[in-house]
This record gives sequence, structure tokens and C-alpha cells, in this order.
Amino acid sequence: MLVQTRHLAKRYGSFTALDGCSLAVPAGEIFGLLGPNGAGKTTLLRLLLGYIRPSAGSAEVVGFDCVRQSLEVRSKTAYLPGEARLFRRMDGHRVLDFFAGLRPDCRRDVAAGVARRLDLDCSRQVARMSTGMRQKLALAVVLALDVPLVILDEPTANLDPTARAEVLALVREARRNGRTVIFSSHVLSEVEETCDRVAILRAGRLVHEQSLERLRRCHRIRARLTGPLTEIPAALAATVTIAERGQDTVVLEAGDSLAPLLGWLSTLPLDEVRVEPVGLAAIYDRFHRQQG
Amino acid sequence: MWSTAIWKKTWGDQRVLLLSLAALWTAFPWIYIWLSAQIPMPAFQDVLLRAIPRDWQKLSGVPFSEVATHAGRVALAFVDPVVVLAATVWGITRGSDAVSGQLERGTMEMVLAAPVRRVAVFVTQALATTVAAAALCCVLFGAVWSAVAFGPWAGKVDPARFVPAALNVFGLMVCMGGVSAGVSAIDSYRWRTVGILCGFYVFSLLAKLVGRLSRSFAWVGYLSVFNCYEPQRLVGPPEESWRLLATYDGVLIGIGVAAYVVGAVLFARRDLPAPL
Repeated sequence: MLVQTRHLAKRYGSFTALDGCSLAVPAGEIFGLLGPNGAGKTTLLRLLLGYIRPSAGSAEVVGFDCVRQSLEVRSKTAYLPGEARLFRRMDGHRVLDFFAGLRPDCRRDVAAGVARRLDLDCSRQVARMSTGMRQKLALAVVLALDVPLVILDEPTANLDPTARAEVLALVREARRNGRTVIFSSHVLSEVEETCDRVAILRAGRLVHEQSLERLRRCHRIRARLTGPLTEIPAALAATVTIAERGQDTVVLEAGDSLAPLLGWLSTLPLDEVRVEPVGLAAIYDRFHRQQG
Repeated sequence: MWSTAIWKKTWGDQRVLLLSLAALWTAFPWIYIWLSAQIPMPAFQDVLLRAIPRDWQKLSGVPFSEVATHAGRVALAFVDPVVVLAATVWGITRGSDAVSGQLERGTMEMVLAAPVRRVAVFVTQALATTVAAAALCCVLFGAVWSAVAFGPWAGKVDPARFVPAALNVFGLMVCMGGVSAGVSAIDSYRWRTVGILCGFYVFSLLAKLVGRLSRSFAWVGYLSVFNCYEPQRLVGPPEESWRLLATYDGVLIGIGVAAYVVGAVLFARRDLPAPL
């Protein structure tokens, strides 16, 4: 595992920002972190980077302990903070020069290439850049690093749709080049589009992990009942569940391929049948509606 | 323990303040000595020795008879607010930027994402600030030397006598820089750090005054770092001046270095809040 946390917790007095988080991220995966503001996503990332110390538990990145070997962890990691702020007096070129000087693994030419792909004018002073331009500059620094783990905290916030698409393409390229990406975002569609697996956090707790490949095979079947619903056959019990049941409506959720279900569905007294992918939003809502 | 990129960036950050203070300290001794020379020595001695109550002598730290000399009058330039305030402003401005300034601006986040030790970031900045303070004191001494050597009092006093006084200014700058960096290391807001240090500055000034003026509260003077900033006492006989300087700068630089060390340790161990 490239990243592993065991019962990781962070408490500030009586407030628990992260509570017993255990997760494992294998190499070569794009791992999404989802959750509303205050769910503990940034706390988890900051614990991995050693900005804050855990109240309990442990974390390892590329086999290095995040507290005792923070320097080694950071030498293997590229991190884009949630709101990346750069030196206002420098222009874009000097910012790239600074980070190329600070980190031996930061390739200045690659950073300039990423900046060009994001259509960023590096000759402008940071103080005169828009929020989106600063985000692009920070992304150019982070994505130019030749490291096994890339951690992006809301990388597409403040970006226009074109730049957003380019960033997602760069993230996928990073995976193709063998890197692991931890991707925290509020935008479910881009997480669904980009990630291999997601973890959902709620009030500091890891409440669900979901493979996106498996999720893409999941479907919901909404229908109006025209008669009594028969029991789910034992052979299908593992793959289909009744998600909702109204007086004359039913929602079935199929966790795998639809093909084995079709025969059984055709025997049911159903009308106005609609089949739709489950989607990440439904999974996310399942945990966060409960909170509301 | 060292980062060349941080070193260069720190010099870039302090460039404007450094050049401004260098310009101020280049011009100030010339203006000060020229203005002082407008009052002839007998008239100055008359005012100082007859018009000012003898009790006030306590405030000057040296007998008025020593002040009423060419060396004494030049030495007063070192306790002028232009020098003391500029030295303090340098220390507070650069020291407060070390941690809380960068946390407040949010720029520390990207720097510490790199494989660089917090102590290295702190120490590199401290060294850049201290080297720049030394350079400023060289500028100040150079300006005093040239103003004394070529100004209206040329030949009346040896400019080399002011080396200990310039070094005492350096001691004050290291002390204020270290204390500021130490407070900055545990804080997250620069405005609060600067507020605390302004309080420290005012307290030190008042403590020195109280210590000087009240016999029963003389001990309060020892709570002030300005108790060890007395460049006007460092223009006497060289042997005595250097001995006094060793004590003064020993205390000032000692406090500064101790504050830097404590600051570095606390900064290395603390939780860093996410930028607001």
C-alpha cells in the first residue's frame, strides 16, 4: 500500500476533526476523498503531510511514518493545498524558479509545460493574478514533481471549465505514469469521472469506501407496481436489493451486471420501468442525508 | 539545516526594508552631525550643564560632562529615535514574518510541502535577517565614520571610537529579531505578533525609565532589554567601552539567540493551522 492509515485521529480539545480513520490506498490508484466542509478531508491530508500531529493512530506514506519520517514522506509527495497561496511579489516564472530550487525533484521545464497547457501567463506578478490563475500556477508546481504520490485538495476550485478538464486530464496522465493520486473534491461528477475509488467522510469519520468501477455497474430500476411484488429469488439475493418501496412504486438496486436480472424482472408486475446508473451522488446522499 | 532557495527568497522579501533603512542610516548621521554643529559647543555645554536639572542626568546614563563633548554629541545619534526605532522596526518586521507572517499569508503551506525541515526554514531566515542587520550596522557606522571624518567636526574626534556603539545597535537588532521570531513561531497571525512585540517594546522603554528614575524600583530596569542598549556609554576609553560592549551585546545577543533557539524548537513541534 502506498498510503496506509490506522485508526488515525485528530482532536482539538473536545472537538474531533478526524476520528479513527483507517484506509489504504494502493499504488497507481486515483483515490477520491468526499465529504462536506468540516468532514475531515483536509485534516486527513494535513496529517499525512506532517503539518499536524495525530492525537491517536498512525499513518504511513510509501512506507515512511508521517510523524517520525515527515521529511521522507514529503520527498515522495506533491501536495496542492486547498487554497494555494504563493508569493505575491514574485511573477509566475520566479515562483517556478523558486520551487525548482527548493525541490530537486521539481523539473522547471515540466512545470513551464504544465503552465502552458493550463494557458497561464507566467510573466504576470502573482499579486495581479486572478484566483484561478494562482491555482493554475500552484498546479504547475505540483504536477511537475517527479514523485510517487500526488495529493490534490480541491484542485479544480476556481478554474474555468476548460482548465478544469485539462487538470482532470493531467491527473489521469499522472496515473498512467504510475503515480498515485489522492483527490479531494466537492464536485461529485469530476470525482466519478476521474477516480478509481472514493472514501466518504462524515463528521470526521470514514463512513464508506466505494469502488467506482463497481459503482459504474450498479443500476437502479424504478417502476410502478401493478400487482404484488414477489420475493427476490435466492440466486439473485446477492446482487439485487429493494432500495425503496412505496404503496405502488418500487426501487430496486442492482449491484452488478443487469443481465441475470432481466429474466426475473420480466416476470414482475411492473409498469413504467426506468433503468438508470446509481451514480456517486446517490451513494454520497445516502450518508450525508442521514446527517441532515 | 540550510535551504539556498529560502535564503534567496528571504533576501528578496527583506530587500525593500533593507534598502530603505540603509538609505535612512546613510543620510541620518550626516544630517544629525550637521544639525548638531549648528549649535556651538559652548552654547550646548551651557544648556546641558546649567539649564537641565542635574537629576535628569540619570536618564542619559552618562554624566552630562561626557555628553557635552564632540564624541558625546555624536554618540547621541545612536540613541536617537531614528536609530532605535529603525533597529526595532527591522527586528519586529523581519522576526514577525518568520512564521506567523507566512502562516497568515498562507505561503508557508506550499514551502513546507517540500522536503525541507521546519528548523531549516526558520534558521535560514534567521541567518538572512541577522546578516542583513550586520550589513545595516556597517552602513550606519560607515555613515557615522564619514560624517565625523569629513563633516563639520572633522579632526575633533576619532571615528573609530564609534565601533562599539554600532555593534551595540547590532546587538539590539539581533535581540529584537530573535524575540520577534520566537513569538512569531508560536503564533498564527502577524498582526497579533506585532502587537505583542510593540507591547514588549513599550514595556522595555518604560521599565528602563522607571528603573532609572526611581531608586526603590531600580530593579525594574533589569527587566528592560534597553538596559543593555547604551551606545552613549561606549564612546569612552576603548578598553572600558569594549568591556561594557561585551556585557551589553552578550545579554542582547544571548536573549536573541535563545529566543531563536526556543522559536525553532516550538515551530518544529507545533501544529500548523490551514490558511484562513
